[in-house]
Amino acid sequence: MTRLRFHMTFPEERVKEPILYEISQKFRVIPNIRRADVSDHSGWVELELEGELPEIERTIDYLRKRGIHVDPLEKTILEG
Amino acid sequence: MSNPSAPRRSSPERTPSSPYLKGLKCRECGRLYDLAAIHVCDFCFGPLEVDYDYEAIRRVLTRAEIQKGPNSLWRYKHLLPVASEPTIGLHAGMTPLLKADRLGKALGLNRLYIKNDTVNHPTLSFKDRVVAVAINRARELGFKTVACASTGNLANSVSAHAASAGMNCFVFIPHDLEAGKILGNLIYKPTVVAVKGNYDDVNRLCSEIGAEYPWAFVNINIRPYYAEGSKSMAFETAEQLGWRIPDQVVVPIASGSLLTKIWKGFQEFSSLGIVDAHPGLKVNGAQATGCSPVYQAFQAGRTQFIPVKPKTIAKSLAIGNPADGYYSLDVVGKSHGQVEAATDPEIVEGMVLLAETEGVFAETAGGVTVACLKKLAEKGAIRPDDLTVAYITGNGLKTMEALTGYLPEPVGIDPTLASFRKIVNPS
Repeated sequence: MTRLRFHMTFPEERVKEPILYEISQKFRVIPNIRRADVSDHSGWVELELEGELPEIERTIDYLRKRGIHVDPLEKTILEG
Repeated sequence: MSNPSAPRRSSPERTPSSPYLKGLKCRECGRLYDLAAIHVCDFCFGPLEVDYDYEAIRRVLTRAEIQKGPNSLWRYKHLLPVASEPTIGLHAGMTPLLKADRLGKALGLNRLYIKNDTVNHPTLSFKDRVVAVAINRARELGFKTVACASTGNLANSVSAHAASAGMNCFVFIPHDLEAGKILGNLIYKPTVVAVKGNYDDVNRLCSEIGAEYPWAFVNINIRPYYAEGSKSMAFETAEQLGWRIPDQVVVPIASGSLLTKIWKGFQEFSSLGIVDAHPGLKVNGAQATGCSPVYQAFQAGRTQFIPVKPKTIAKSLAIGNPADGYYSLDVVGKSHGQVEAATDPEIVEGMVLLAETEGVFAETAGGVTVACLKKLAEKGAIRPDDLTVAYITGNGLKTMEALTGYLPEPVGIDPTLASFRKIVNPS
């Protein structure tokens, strides 16, 4: 099993959707939220995803296709 | 695949400390940690910061003590997270603070200064400050290898410092980066790893490598130490102004770390009694319109920002999801400053204006700062008699391509005095 840490940003149109519940139903991953801030206009969540690596990869692909911005916990690492 | 979140040996050998360093502290929940190569709180995932023993520092640090130190950022070593005497990057910092009278006149500002890091040592950008601190700390922690993910200034500085320290160095870049971008690095002989993927893929991979390998990844596991080097910009500004804090500063925002650390540096100096407190200091941020998540949040009056895909000529500021974006908004808010943004043509105009008035050739990030300074002055957010400092963070020789097509062609003449008189016709 692998555990990876992510920062996810939810756009306004996704804020009200139970997306983390969705991924725990669709994929064999365990989301473990550590920090979050959600408002009417947007929201972010910092969490750990636990599961087999290919399953985590599929989860990330799915989230990105739903319009969720997914970065590593450190956010942008690549600097100019 | 191993487990990046699992407890692991955070540094190869040791965690040396000094009487002035207490540990690392979570910025969110306040939990304390050893002075190791870690950057995130295990409990709340908040970022870790160096926790100083300010009482111990207060007992020894005076203006005279600082002035006895070297002509570099190491004169402020009591407030930098290095336990022993530094041995690498000894000439970074103490760059000129220029009284910018001609630029000030053009902008209607009577007391304008430019902090000129275009001449920082050894690689001509402010990154030499943060990397000097990071590499000294990495050596103290027993690391033999340093790494970073960068397409420009950071890669330059890490590669140069690693070379001078005799350390192994890995630089990660996207595979489709133009060769010229990384050419300057190769002279230092780092291992440049071109990742077959986009910028998101490079970020993700580096996060995993940072957790997996016993390397000092300067802006991942060494970030709490690395970021502290930026405070020296504030310390030097205060000292060079005659031990005072300015009324206004204008700081470019990439990750947001520089802006927050300049604020922190001024707060440390005033709380230690090195300078008088100046509650009226306003911290202003500058972003490129093509990568302006902090500006957009500021304009909308939000504390949250939405990550963006960068599209700007100011590559050194092109960070779509800035790690310290939230904290930079916080500093701007509590100092009653503002955030401005500059379009690509405005950035070039800013570069040209700075060059033709002050003789300083800045990279595109400097153009962003000057363009935003101009906007702040025009709308009265900076008043004519405010003591103002604008931070110019990198040398124009690094971003020559941005000027293509913007500058006049040379005046062509025949090799005769008659041709010179006829075509150039100097008055």
